[in-house]
Amino acid sequence: MAITFQPSAYSGLVDQENGMVSREIFVNSDIYAEEQERIFTRAWLFVGHESQVEKPGDFFVSSMGEESVILCRDREGEIHVFLNSCMHRGMKVCRYDEGNTPIFTCPYHGWSFATDGALVGVPFYKDAYHEELDKSQWSLIRVPRMINYKGGIWASWDPNAPDFLEYIGGFKTYLDILFDGWDGSEGGTELIGGIEKWMVPSNWKFPAENFIGDRYHNISHRSVDLVGIGPSGQGRRDNREREGAKSLDVSFPERGHGTVMFLRPEDAQPVESYQNDPVVAEYFYQCEIARKERQGQLWRILAGPGTIFPNMSFLPRQPRSIAVWHPRGPDQTEVWRWFLVDKTAPPEVKEFLRQYYIRYSGPAGLTEQDDMENWNYAHSASRGAMARRHHYNYQMGMGYAVTDFEDGGLKLDGTVLDTTKARAGEQNQRGFYSRWREFMAARDWDELATWRKGGSAC
Amino acid sequence: MAVANDPLAMLLLKQDVEAFLYHEANLLDDRRYEEWLELLTDDVRYWVPMRRNVKFGELEREFTREGQDINWFDEGKVTLTQRVRQILTGVHWAEEPLSRISHLVTNVEILDADPTPAEAGQVSLRCRFIIYRNRVETETDILVGRREDTLRRVDGDWRIAQRQVFLDQNVLLAKNLTFFF
Amino acid sequence: MADIVNLFEVEPGQTIRLYSEATAEVVSNPRDGVWLFVRYLSSPDDPDQVGQEDMVFAQDVIELVAE
Repeated sequence: MAITFQPSAYSGLVDQENGMVSREIFVNSDIYAEEQERIFTRAWLFVGHESQVEKPGDFFVSSMGEESVILCRDREGEIHVFLNSCMHRGMKVCRYDEGNTPIFTCPYHGWSFATDGALVGVPFYKDAYHEELDKSQWSLIRVPRMINYKGGIWASWDPNAPDFLEYIGGFKTYLDILFDGWDGSEGGTELIGGIEKWMVPSNWKFPAENFIGDRYHNISHRSVDLVGIGPSGQGRRDNREREGAKSLDVSFPERGHGTVMFLRPEDAQPVESYQNDPVVAEYFYQCEIARKERQGQLWRILAGPGTIFPNMSFLPRQPRSIAVWHPRGPDQTEVWRWFLVDKTAPPEVKEFLRQYYIRYSGPAGLTEQDDMENWNYAHSASRGAMARRHHYNYQMGMGYAVTDFEDGGLKLDGTVLDTTKARAGEQNQRGFYSRWREFMAARDWDELATWRKGGSAC
Repeated sequence: MAVANDPLAMLLLKQDVEAFLYHEANLLDDRRYEEWLELLTDDVRYWVPMRRNVKFGELEREFTREGQDINWFDEGKVTLTQRVRQILTGVHWAEEPLSRISHLVTNVEILDADPTPAEAGQVSLRCRFIIYRNRVETETDILVGRREDTLRRVDGDWRIAQRQVFLDQNVLLAKNLTFFF
Repeated sequence: MADIVNLFEVEPGQTIRLYSEATAEVVSNPRDGVWLFVRYLSSPDDPDQVGQEDMVFAQDVIELVAE
């Protein structure tokens, strides 16, 4: 393979004009290494949830790209994200998944760091270092950009990255639906304990593009639809709220984010759902009424799966959850999954949802088991010398999206593809890969913040 | 409970329980899923927690909690039946074509027999398992761990009333769990 | 030579003797098996240390001083 990774090479790999993407970007180890540099050190990445570090000294070991990081709350109550690597010889200073501690102690030579990152313990500081080591210069490496947005903790290694809300842009509407309470109350969600972590033998972009809005892969889930695990006893989800709704695929190609959603008619009213349990049904019905009152037109949006570039995906409706696709080599992804419920929901509702989340999601979930099979073998069948010569096809619905979508007085940001009749489209995936191409080619955030100058980086 | 004072009854009970466990493993490995479901009591509890790395002295936080946290499995017969029905649709791609699976059940210990080993209507037991799964061409998973079961006699036959599965993995190394422990 | 002290077994309020011949009272134990937070009670090499708080490394802990 004689690919030279000049910025121009990426135009050939992601052929936007013809809606094609080279398999090389999924299977090539040189491109994978470049991604670690160009994407994962520059983008905003999801690290965890504030409820995981509620009290001073609480920590949660997370991952940014391939690298282990510590999310923790220091003694003053401030949240930090640090590289989980001792400044002396690189050993992980924390090999626990979560807990509470006054210090992180390296087991190799014993250097010890406070929860604000400061180097506080150096063995033989007096005798061996003659008190000449300037401890203040050897704090844990702090991730320079960090934000707590409605309980979600995000971080970026790039000091020049735009503020998180600028990075998210118009996609905020959909991220808010994820983190707000079902009744629309700001940031009204909390985590259920237990983070799912598992390995999938596939490139990280397969699940990222799947969640960004692959309505076409419904056939993957035929078996669970036949069995029926949904909260009203049928299918895998509740579909009654979607009656009369438009199916819309919403992409923000200049940022790489995208989601699918259903837009209820202007005169729609809350409908009863979650029919398997009267308490749950009543809870959601009341929440819907409250949210409609609070949000007006925006209430019409029934948000579906989405992806925030590069590797955070989510389901804002049930099973309400966050997935991060941690890259672990071109052929492996470590998936982490957080699950959310309304803070103020009655225990019966939380329990109902917990059970639904478990049977739906993750490696044991009746729905998602089949996704892993597809990503696994789509990836492995793309690795061969011949397979790599052929691009994947992303041509569905090309030329049918609009940038000025309006329906019954509700205007939507982003590029919108109406898939009500079409039933599927691939503009969101095209948006994701055009942004991928920009990240791989651009020198810095001045080039990457294309929206500031209203153009494209490539 | 009188596990210790009747060694002969214990031996016979252990033999009986082991035969049941091997029969159960055979049903699963022979893909006789519907017959396997019949081995579960209607009120069966099936729990497979996730497992954390925790600091010395904090092992009580190692496992996610049944009935409270997200677990790999935390369910009863309704969901287990749905899992079987899903495999039997023929379009459950994660098990189509079907995996080749062997359950090795070992280290069986009876922890409790109620009311007595000679007349046990309920037993709790601990064992170790190795599940070997091989599918499609070369894909292989080996899952190892501890199982704690409660068996109950229903109309003279043993039935599984509770199963707790403690996997020896943190990040699950299998891409999915489409089989039963 | 005293046995090696397992720092997990050290409780706040106990007194330890250090490699430097100083003695210190344990203020808190981070329970990492490697460090203790202490306050100096005596310090022949550096009398100014007395009363000061410090972190003490496991290999600098010689023994627990009996009450």
